[in-house]
Amino acid sequence: MELLLTASVDGLVMGLVYALVSLGLGLIWGVMDVINFAHAEYVMLAMYATFFAGQWLRLDPLQALPLVALLGFGAGVATYAVLIRRIVGASMVTQIFATFGLLFFLRYAAFAVFGPNFRGITWGAAAGSVAIAGIPVSAAKVIAGIAALATFAVLHVFLQRTKVGKALQATAQNPTAALALGIEVERMYMLAWGLSIATAGVAGVFLLPFYQVSPAVGDAFLLITFASVVLGGFGSLLGPLLGGVAIGLIEGIAGTMISPTFKLVFVFAVFLLVLFVRPGGLLGRDPA
Amino acid sequence: MTPRAAAVWGALVLLPAVVHNAYFLNGMILVFIYGTAAQAWNLLGGYGGQLSFGHVVFFGTGAYTSTLLLSMAGVSPWIGMWAGAALATLLSFVVGYPTFRLRRHYFALATLALAEMVRILVLNWPLAGAAVGLYLPLRLMNRPWAMLWNTKPPYYLLSLALFAVACGLVLVTDRTRLGLYLRTIDQDEDAAAALGISGRRYKLLAMGLSAALTALAGTLFAQYVLYIDPSTVLDPSRSVLFAIMALLGGRGTVVGPAAGAAFLTLLSQYAGGALGGLGRGYDYVLYGLAIMVVAVYEPRGLVGVLERLRPRPRPLPGAPAGAAAPSSVPSPDGALPPASATRAPGDPQPPLLEVAGLSKRFGGLEALRDVTLTVRRGEIVGVLGPNGAGKSTLFDCVTGFLAPSRGAVVLRRNGDRRILTGRAPFWIAQQGLARTFQLIRVFPGLTALENLLAGQEHDGEPLLSVFRASPPAVFEQAGTLLRLTGLEAVRDTPAGQLSYGQQKLLGLAMALVRRPRLALLDEPVAGVNLTVIERLKDHIRAQHAQGVTFLIIEHNIEVLMELADRLYFLAEGRVITDGPPRAIQRNEEVLSLYYGR
Repeated sequence: MELLLTASVDGLVMGLVYALVSLGLGLIWGVMDVINFAHAEYVMLAMYATFFAGQWLRLDPLQALPLVALLGFGAGVATYAVLIRRIVGASMVTQIFATFGLLFFLRYAAFAVFGPNFRGITWGAAAGSVAIAGIPVSAAKVIAGIAALATFAVLHVFLQRTKVGKALQATAQNPTAALALGIEVERMYMLAWGLSIATAGVAGVFLLPFYQVSPAVGDAFLLITFASVVLGGFGSLLGPLLGGVAIGLIEGIAGTMISPTFKLVFVFAVFLLVLFVRPGGLLGRDPA
Repeated sequence: MTPRAAAVWGALVLLPAVVHNAYFLNGMILVFIYGTAAQAWNLLGGYGGQLSFGHVVFFGTGAYTSTLLLSMAGVSPWIGMWAGAALATLLSFVVGYPTFRLRRHYFALATLALAEMVRILVLNWPLAGAAVGLYLPLRLMNRPWAMLWNTKPPYYLLSLALFAVACGLVLVTDRTRLGLYLRTIDQDEDAAAALGISGRRYKLLAMGLSAALTALAGTLFAQYVLYIDPSTVLDPSRSVLFAIMALLGGRGTVVGPAAGAAFLTLLSQYAGGALGGLGRGYDYVLYGLAIMVVAVYEPRGLVGVLERLRPRPRPLPGAPAGAAAPSSVPSPDGALPPASATRAPGDPQPPLLEVAGLSKRFGGLEALRDVTLTVRRGEIVGVLGPNGAGKSTLFDCVTGFLAPSRGAVVLRRNGDRRILTGRAPFWIAQQGLARTFQLIRVFPGLTALENLLAGQEHDGEPLLSVFRASPPAVFEQAGTLLRLTGLEAVRDTPAGQLSYGQQKLLGLAMALVRRPRLALLDEPVAGVNLTVIERLKDHIRAQHAQGVTFLIIEHNIEVLMELADRLYFLAEGRVITDGPPRAIQRNEEVLSLYYGR
């Protein structure tokens, strides 16, 4: 029982991190119906940025956060301007290919620049562990979980309470009508990409203290985040949050109770099962 | 086979007799093996538009199945390769069946997930060598039954043969109904379903063939390199390699993926020292860049670039000789006798379509409320009503594109009653219901003729018959319709390049190729000029004389007055009244609701 509780708490915290990574993916999926296969690669790049911010500028993750988030926003805007803008109206096949090509490009460019080695940091402030429900959990993970919740809250307020946020929602629902109402749809798309990759940046910053980075680290997140978004359903921020937590719990519990080696197999099996049974996700609509 | 193609294949067969350079033969063997996988990927991803990013799982399935059977049970790979192919096909259905009804990224994701799952499983499966991998039994070297040799030519010829089979299969697909149907599904699956083409059936067919072919390539690869492990035959980047070979060369073409495989494989063999030799994956950086550039600028790949430089009309999908010039007499072999011949005055025809108590809610909105209507055989029935009355929703519910909240739709066919409610659109279309869409939905990348061929009868079409061209009668019927609609001159023009009026005519003709029992037309004359309206009206009259019953939504009341036997008037989701056109036109309620008087 104790074991199950430990697994659940650990899974919950990890799930919040998955939710944070999924957030940006779900945002673009929802706003412009484009799936960014390269999303997890930006998390990888953010982890490297955090690493080198510590190495060269002596910044700890919290100090690096604004810098990395800003870089992420810039990278998102640039990605939109250079690549995505050209494929907005294109067929789905073209869109899938373009972002899949981006995934390969970013991953192997990182490989070429940084080499295959794993790199991690030790963050003194987040060392040790914190007790949640009497279960000790790594402090770094708890901080990441809190950061995930904070990011969700900030984005929620932005979308619901600001004019720009509402314009973004309007664009998501009907870009043509939004255009007719004077909303600059192109700029909204650019903003969505900026926000999306900025949240990937936040995720990268808080992952690094307890997760080593290598060029292929995106592999671990790519499918998990897709599974989170699909499981939760889209159209709201709640979808990725629920989905991420659900995936984290499945992974944590299956990994502890059944077999750590096969934890990802369970996650993917659940993902395929969801596609079978409820492809619209827990909250979403049928995407057929 | 053209003389040039025959010369190329002949030269390839004779090559090992002339060239003995092992390094070069090694490169060619890999070209054939990877080329087979690229063609297999092309079959599904190129023609069907279903992108698999986990195709390596089928490659690995083939390699592991035959190797395990050989080393553990002494089963010859000549048999084991087929076991691998069967297993891969089965596996492909596990992913394909649930995801083919969803939008395409789900399939791409599911293939990725499957490949990852299998890789993790094999990596931890001691029987399959786990992370260490498996050696093929070298003691069986040079025993033909074990498919093991210590020279290159046998492998060369074997892989060449498999590659030829792969190219042949893609060629057959390209030139027959299978390719045609897959391309319609790629371009607009709903429009294909409206013609009676089952998306899932042909996607599963392409998927199964693709998986089997990839597995055969995997077996051959294992037999050739004599050692397999998860980081070679289940390596995720190999999935990308297969896709990029097809994509770079030109997906959806016969030559493209073969050329792409040759180019990339030989490039990495000979320029590998310059790129991959650094061990830093520069080649994959370039692949990623190439994928993006191709996707953005020329989705048809190298073949597309060549076609731009030297435009050439694509060959007809298997036009039988003589069928290109159809006889000028409309063939009278309709499935039904002309209705006018059997219709006696005062003798009401039996009902053909019965809609009973149909309701449809979208959340709080009741788009249809208890709609009941009947269409009798041989009638032309009009549906009139203000915008938002629920007319198109009615069509969508009848043809299966929407599921009604309540009520039933029944089609009477020669005495038996078929319940259409709850059935898939393609099945309903196969029962003899044709429909057009309010917004034009032709297949933009297919020629006018190909669009019409896609509309042929799909009811009872045997699965294997799609490996042949359309029967001559279909070509004849398509030719007749092209002439009647005045589209003969643009027969070989892609439909996307036709004018609005031409697309409208084509859309109507597509629905009528198979001489449906009932044609549901959604605003057939909206937005076209008077000449085209006349042509469309003539066309509808001519088809009616041939025995087609019509249900027509139209705002152009003049057209309905001329064509229709009866009208239904719909408003706010309800049938307000029905009757002969003149009576409807004078009806007080209609006047106030429709004309605002």
